[in-house]
Amino acid sequence: MAGPLIPAEHQPHLPRERLILTEAPAEERIDMDVVFVGAGPAGLAGAIHLAQLVQRDNESGDGIGEVVIGVLEKAASLGEHSLSGAVVNPRAFRELFPGSSDEDFPFGGPVARESLYWLSERRARRLPTPPSMRNHGNYVASICEIVRWLGEKAQELGVDVLPGFPAGALLTDGERVLGVRTVATGLGREGEQLSGYLPPADVVAKVTALAEGTRGMLSLAYQEWQGIGSENPQIYALGVKELWELKRPLDRVIHTMGWPLPNDVFGGSFMYPLEPTVAALGLVVGLDYPDRTFDVHDRLQRMKAHPLFREYLEGGELVEWGAKTIPEGGYYALPERLSGDGVVMLGDSAGFVDVPSLKGVHYAMQSGMFAARAIFEALKADDTSRARLATYDRLVAESYIRDDLYRTRNVRPAFTGGFFKGAIRAGLATLTRGRFPGGRIDMEPDATASRRPGAVPRVPYDGRLTYSKVDAVFKSGNATRDTIPSHVIAGENLPPEVAEFYAHMCPAGVYEVSDGKLVVNAPNCVDCKATDVVGPRWTPREGGAGPQYKRM
Amino acid sequence: MKIAVCIKRVPDSEARIKVAADGKAIDETGVKFVLNPYDEYAVEEALKLKEGAGAGEVVVVSIGPDAAQETIRTALAMGADTGVLLKADAVGLDPLPVAKVLAAELKDGGYDLVLFGKMAIDDSSHGVGPMVAELLGLPCVSAVAHLEISDRTGKAEREIEGGVEVVEFGLPAVITADKGLNEPRYPALRGIMMAKKKPLEVKDAALEPGGIEVVRLSPPAERKAGRIVGEGPDAVSALVEALRNEAKVL
Repeated sequence: MAGPLIPAEHQPHLPRERLILTEAPAEERIDMDVVFVGAGPAGLAGAIHLAQLVQRDNESGDGIGEVVIGVLEKAASLGEHSLSGAVVNPRAFRELFPGSSDEDFPFGGPVARESLYWLSERRARRLPTPPSMRNHGNYVASICEIVRWLGEKAQELGVDVLPGFPAGALLTDGERVLGVRTVATGLGREGEQLSGYLPPADVVAKVTALAEGTRGMLSLAYQEWQGIGSENPQIYALGVKELWELKRPLDRVIHTMGWPLPNDVFGGSFMYPLEPTVAALGLVVGLDYPDRTFDVHDRLQRMKAHPLFREYLEGGELVEWGAKTIPEGGYYALPERLSGDGVVMLGDSAGFVDVPSLKGVHYAMQSGMFAARAIFEALKADDTSRARLATYDRLVAESYIRDDLYRTRNVRPAFTGGFFKGAIRAGLATLTRGRFPGGRIDMEPDATASRRPGAVPRVPYDGRLTYSKVDAVFKSGNATRDTIPSHVIAGENLPPEVAEFYAHMCPAGVYEVSDGKLVVNAPNCVDCKATDVVGPRWTPREGGAGPQYKRM
Repeated sequence: MKIAVCIKRVPDSEARIKVAADGKAIDETGVKFVLNPYDEYAVEEALKLKEGAGAGEVVVVSIGPDAAQETIRTALAMGADTGVLLKADAVGLDPLPVAKVLAAELKDGGYDLVLFGKMAIDDSSHGVGPMVAELLGLPCVSAVAHLEISDRTGKAEREIEGGVEVVEFGLPAVITADKGLNEPRYPALRGIMMAKKKPLEVKDAALEPGGIEVVRLSPPAERKAGRIVGEGPDAVSALVEALRNEAKVL
């Protein structure tokens, strides 16, 4: 390929016909009042708050009665598909559990000290921490632990938490969402039924709350089907994260910019102490990077050789590895509506992430709680129409979610076209509380960002500090059976350069190039959804497939 | 036919096991617990026997902490009818106190068959099932790989070194299940929803102290790393040499 590579030209369409069904739900269906799709912070906080509202209402006499609330989750156990940094703002926790104190929450320690560095290959220069990145009052936490904890709280309130059941499609009638159809389990490579086969189940509910997390397929399909747009397209970053047991304790939160990222790539690294000698380490990179051989996993491996990290990691042990995309488009990439007939969209599926402060967990939870309020009112009024559920849109628009994202609306977009120019523009946008540069900086989808040829630096994997993608996938706990049907849809007759672009982007080695042709190792997939943004489409697969994160 | 299945909550075989600070227990932080895999065979067999007979009752019994209710729910989701948790915060290594508590629970239950997994994967003791049989005065066939029940008699097959042992017995009896007895079903969504409404009785278990003391737990010695002796046809002689003189397997 002589010219620049435009990923969108090789990307298959979203398989909407698989994701939006118009046939009537099966007779043997499961009826619920509300089904949350995804047991992450958004879905679980939503389910918990809804159960609280129902309980309070019933205690006051003449209540709403029994409300069946279910949470479907694609991981085999709660938290196993959840990955975040994470430094968590406790705000939503405090609101959801008013009688509790911060010590009751599933957090590591409070952020005591934090340092921001500009890295070159051998040196680290300390930078002043920008106001948006200050974490005083926040806590280092593992999202897996948060999710398990929230799951217990939900179950205590009578919520049916159902891990191992991915929602594979929306059941619809006219404009209304009726519920979801789960994905079958126990299919062979050619789609044949194996001995452990479990057919799909139809779950019918008055309201379906889509809390699928980053790049939720049902949320994307719903928006496309309903023609729900946004001022800017949603854009994504890929984060690759490792959990290490350290030989030397880490006493502060570290963020870095610069090396090992070139100046025309947006991103940075983090290292957080979950315990004094257990640290999360990761590298997050915008998927609009201009170099087609850029590889986030390999960059993270090289980064660990930097003296700043090496002194902590050397002699320690890699405990877990994982990857996940992050919706980074911010305010201007939010869908123009978050609700419809019988449906609402929450958390990362809606794009509630603030890039400058690197926060999403508390927005996700808060959005779930707002949705719960709207759903509860709708159930009380026996009207779950779009007009009624629009209360959710209003609650979000009047909240700190909207305010925080609006304040930083142009910070991430400022970085298109280079780090230094971006840093100046972003700095001005921050100082003016979003008023600079006036209006909205246009973004293009990651899939249309042009990619140029690049060098392929060799990373020596030593199995002590640096790990190959195959070893990394093992450390994700991924034990997906080899006979599972492929869940990714790739374009056909792809030029070798495109295949190589996918192979470098995918941190889990799902894509390889052999004799210039794309080879797909679907069971390796850890559901990060990175290549879904620019290339082969990810579709929901059987429950329990994918990673089994424990403390990510 | 009334069948009891005794099950145990154990750490997942995929879990990363660490010895706790006191050196005498495992550190349960972040460890996922599951229904003991051998017990899954026992549950499945009970369900198949009930389905085959067209009637009957399957009761799941476990000893363990509160969290073992979840393990019982898994068996209920597979299709068992009711559950009993004999609550004990700490279950020691000695199988005898456990067997005594179970036998007391099962004694007057009117069970035709009591099923166990042949062992729990956490302590691998194989002890509780046969001990319960002894305490109840019932025949016991352990490590059963194939089972047929007709009228009031049963025929069980055990896979032994170099062959199959066929055992006949009368009901009531105690059976412990081996791998291969059947293929345990996955709980379906409907089954899980229904399991939440099935009766699960929780009683306190008065476990005796037992006669076994854990002195020390230690992880197995690390295996030596493998070695690649060469590549291509030239490596064959080096490999044969290494197998003969180093590994001493040829």
